Amino acid sequence: MLRSLWRLRGFILPYRVKLISGIVAFGLARFFEALVPFLTAVGINRMTDGNFDVADIVGGITGAVICRYIVVTYARFAVRQVGLTVAFDLRQSLYASLQDQGAQFFSEHTIGDMMTRAVADITLIQRLISFGTILLVILVYATLFGFAFMLYFDPFLTLLILPPMPIVFWYARHSWRQMGIASVQVQDRLSDLGAHVQENLSGIRTIQAMVQEENEIKRFSLTNQQYADAFYEQGRINSAMSAWMPSLAAVCSITILGYGGYQVLHGHMPVGNFVAFFLYVNMVVQPFRVAGMIVNLFQRAAVASNRLHEVMDLEPEITDQPSGSTPPFISGDISIKGLSYRYPKSETLVLDHIDLHVQPGETIAIMGRVGAGKSTLLKQIVRLLNPEPGQIKIDQHDVLDYPLAQLRSQVALVPQDPFLFGEPLRDNLTYDDPNRALDAIWDAAMSADLKNTIEEFPEQLETLVGERGVTLSGGQKQRATLARGLIRHAPVLLLDDCFSAVDTETEEHILSELKRLRARDTTMLVSHRVSTARHADRIIVLEEGSIIEEGTHQQLLNSGGYYAELERVQREGAEEEDLAGARHTFSHTEKERG
Amino acid sequence: MNTSAVPDPEKPKRDYAMFDADLSGAVLNMHLLGRLLQWLKPYTPALILSSVLVLIASTLQVLLPIIISLVAIDHILRGEADPDTPDFGLIELTNWLTDSLGWPPLLVACLLYGIIQITWAFTGHAHRMTLIGAVINGLRDLRHDLFSHLETRPSSFYDRVAVGRIMTRVTNDVEALYELLRGLGTLIGEFVPFFVALGVMLAIDAQLTVILLLALPLLAAITYYFRRTTRTLFRQVRQTLSSLNQNMQENLAGLQVVQISDRQDYNLDRYTKINEENRHYELRSARVETLYGAFNDSLAHTAIGVIIWYGASQVATAEMTLGEVVLFTQFIGMLFHPVVVLGEQTNILFRAMASGERIFQAIDWDEAIHEPTAPVALPRRLRGEVRFESLNFSYDEDIPVLKDVTFTISPGEKLAIVGPTGSGKSTLIRLLGRFYDFSDNQIFLDSIDLNHIHSHDLRRRVGVVLQDFHIFSGTIYDNISLGNKSITLDVAVRAAKTVNAHQFISSLPKGYDTPLTERGQNLSQGQRQLLAFARVLAADPEILVLDEATASIDTETELLIQEALRQLTQGRTSILIAHRLQTIQEADRVLVLDHGKIVELGTHEELLAAEGLYSTLHQLQFQDSSVSE
Repeated sequence: MLRSLWRLRGFILPYRVKLISGIVAFGLARFFEALVPFLTAVGINRMTDGNFDVADIVGGITGAVICRYIVVTYARFAVRQVGLTVAFDLRQSLYASLQDQGAQFFSEHTIGDMMTRAVADITLIQRLISFGTILLVILVYATLFGFAFMLYFDPFLTLLILPPMPIVFWYARHSWRQMGIASVQVQDRLSDLGAHVQENLSGIRTIQAMVQEENEIKRFSLTNQQYADAFYEQGRINSAMSAWMPSLAAVCSITILGYGGYQVLHGHMPVGNFVAFFLYVNMVVQPFRVAGMIVNLFQRAAVASNRLHEVMDLEPEITDQPSGSTPPFISGDISIKGLSYRYPKSETLVLDHIDLHVQPGETIAIMGRVGAGKSTLLKQIVRLLNPEPGQIKIDQHDVLDYPLAQLRSQVALVPQDPFLFGEPLRDNLTYDDPNRALDAIWDAAMSADLKNTIEEFPEQLETLVGERGVTLSGGQKQRATLARGLIRHAPVLLLDDCFSAVDTETEEHILSELKRLRARDTTMLVSHRVSTARHADRIIVLEEGSIIEEGTHQQLLNSGGYYAELERVQREGAEEEDLAGARHTFSHTEKERG
Repeated sequence: MNTSAVPDPEKPKRDYAMFDADLSGAVLNMHLLGRLLQWLKPYTPALILSSVLVLIASTLQVLLPIIISLVAIDHILRGEADPDTPDFGLIELTNWLTDSLGWPPLLVACLLYGIIQITWAFTGHAHRMTLIGAVINGLRDLRHDLFSHLETRPSSFYDRVAVGRIMTRVTNDVEALYELLRGLGTLIGEFVPFFVALGVMLAIDAQLTVILLLALPLLAAITYYFRRTTRTLFRQVRQTLSSLNQNMQENLAGLQVVQISDRQDYNLDRYTKINEENRHYELRSARVETLYGAFNDSLAHTAIGVIIWYGASQVATAEMTLGEVVLFTQFIGMLFHPVVVLGEQTNILFRAMASGERIFQAIDWDEAIHEPTAPVALPRRLRGEVRFESLNFSYDEDIPVLKDVTFTISPGEKLAIVGPTGSGKSTLIRLLGRFYDFSDNQIFLDSIDLNHIHSHDLRRRVGVVLQDFHIFSGTIYDNISLGNKSITLDVAVRAAKTVNAHQFISSLPKGYDTPLTERGQNLSQGQRQLLAFARVLAADPEILVLDEATASIDTETELLIQEALRQLTQGRTSILIAHRLQTIQEADRVLVLDHGKIVELGTHEELLAAEGLYSTLHQLQFQDSSVSE
């Protein structure tokens, strides 16, 4: 545990002076606080002795209160400030290192997982510093000063009230553990409840169409009851703790009452000291009650620290190491030699010795089944996945030698997933360069057949998209991401199946526009539709990572392979004899996927 | 015949933006509280018991300090107890026990202290548990009622409001109400001892009590000021934190785009700005909190000084006993703490009020499909004729979606509907399931006006397969039978076999008993589609309505689905929104919609020959290579 926390030293060390001064100030504050019961005792003793002049005592108490206020305010703020600043720094580091991660990282980690680290784990560390330190310091100082004053008053009585302390500590720890479990339960049941409602309402149309409302309400009752039960259990543990804690502490009070009272009765102890013991017991018991929480804070922060460093210590997957000898402008000659790729932790090659040479100005269509390696190929060209040295060359230079920024701006990839940011359309279209001219934006929108759509929105280019704004249809999203790619006028354009939700008519229109505008530029496009591929200069068909067919539309039709079969199926639909074979492959591939 | 597109004038125009708006009820809303209490009504006995218990517990809580100061110090140790000071008969009880047990008085005091402590602790426990139990049950009922209400809102409602927003009402908002009710319980637990202690203090020394009470307005004012400042600050902290998280989440979701656009540095700068803003507010609220937090303890300590200073002069003149001075110092906490707690609770109260408003807004949302007052009972077996007569429909008054649609589907006929996006295809089939209100005498099923059939009866006879298949939690069998007892496992298996789903189902580890999650992540697109087919086939509806999925499915799966569809539509009146040539070719007739109007209706061959919109669509989508070569 300590080793995990030690990893945080780099983040805490810059603020060590502040942290230490805060800890020292806490000690002073506790001393002043412990003075109040002491002075109270002295005052009461004086009264029992018949001396009623307590002005100096009252003055002392007031002084102690003021000093404590100043010191404790400083101390608490200093420590919390350190906690907050460390959290700030951690967030910055995490964000920066996440931005450099690539496909490999995100195939192993979900975004939800990363968000938990960014939100929950950083908060745990912040809490450890801000509150854990305070609690620990209070525990040490309160015990120190509380026992010191009690020992001064009556050493034997002090020893007598010690035995319940470990029990208080043990019970507190036990309860904290139980409460931890219970609150995880409550959180889990709550998220079950949320998920249940969310899933249910997402399918509300089907539910209503199938007249399943009553069944669903019954099912909800179950989830609802489970949450209520978890909640009740949490309440019970909390309440039991509120009952047992003061009862355990009362053992100390009863000891003082019995033994202390006996001493007073026999004149061995002044009444003031007797009263002071009650005050000090509160001061000492309190920290033992929270000690369980401290252990918990440390443990959880240690886990959090490990989880954060797991990400922050990672090297960037793709590094930018330009050789300096690459041309500033790419003309669009792409040469792929012996390209193979295997996803980490996978046994099969997703690309298996691909050889392909694309001339400047050529349009290549890539076809093949899901999982044939089409997207992987395109991603490697822009180094979203790194190829091996020498496997992919652009204009006779290895893609690894180009500056990343240049490579990715001159080879524009339009990804398969039409992702838009929750920002105005304009910012989405000019995502790579927010300072683009208005003309350029409209030109790109026009080429992507998005102009009319934009003009239908009252706020035009300023229309906010995403959850908080307008929900675009799948086709509109794809056309917007296409416009985002086209706006760069890149010499090489890679389209990764980005027309799947666009209707065929519109797709034809966009492609013929592109053909006209990009006559001298290189284009590679992935598609499932023969109607899309047929217009390409060359068509390649991938299967299990290898090129199995290559040629023009007509050549491939004549050769009678996969492409010709696909063309026939898409034209005529299936014939009976295909079915048996399909059945076989279907259950076969599904099994593999599962 | 009703040919106007004017919707029902009684249909109120709804402001859906209101539903999604951030309600922030900043006022204590008694009406709302009153409504909320309605849900607690069934648990009145528990609440009464709880109130009795809290009174007992509070009194016991006050007795503990009295044992130390009045019984032990004044009576036993110093023998100077003031008989006029209210001691709840504790001194007399001590004397009686001393006599009857023959114990020393101090030991008796210890015994009493222990007994009262334990009784107090567990009366308090019992009070809290009865209260929590009632509140949790009440809110569970509220959540149930809210969910049942939401479950029966019509499609028009769900078209316009975000599911996420509705979800938080069932979860977070109801949770906030729990905080509210528990907060009220806590306040009771604080204020009852406050008044008991106050009574004792006034009886001992009214003047000192009043002096101490003077601190309360000061504490209240400072608490109020503090809460007001932090309320704003906390909101700013929360807002910046949530935009911080949102920024990161979105950046990660679109990281590929970020990287191919080379935006990492720019985005980090933007993140830094929000992070700095967040730190600024965090530090400010930390500053305010530390200033206030230490103030409370200081006030209590100062009060001890005051008590000793004033008490000394009173003890000197024998106006007060020493024990009474000690008692005052012990009561200080009970006097000041309620104000602090009240301050803590106000923020919760305000937040809960807004939550309450949101919940009741949803419960009051009375949008519903108009059901016939005297629904027509459908015959055991329908013939399956569907007739549309001059159907006009619009979601918004201004934009007509379907215009003068008239056609008839004969029993057992297979009709494919095609048309460009936005032509009204989906609307047409939605109306057939009565998911939206439309005027009378426009759609007929076996010559019965659809509006005269209860929507539940209708939907049991019209099997709808939508593009996005909803998988219900449960096993595969549950998903086919949907709780219908007459669909036995045999029936389900037969249905699955017919639609080519049996093969993949039996290859699953538990076959038909394989549990599915709601999103059906463990099934592929194609499998889900086949499962949806099996489900609808098992239900055996007289009319089949299907919105063909457009998602790209590989060609082989495609073949299985086509074959299944052929089985499904066999001898059944079927309306298919078709995206695939195969589906269209197998239909008896094709209906072409454009801008809400029927532009063509006929067989595939007839329409091709007509060289209208259909033939254009066909050309574009399903070009024959030999023709264009």
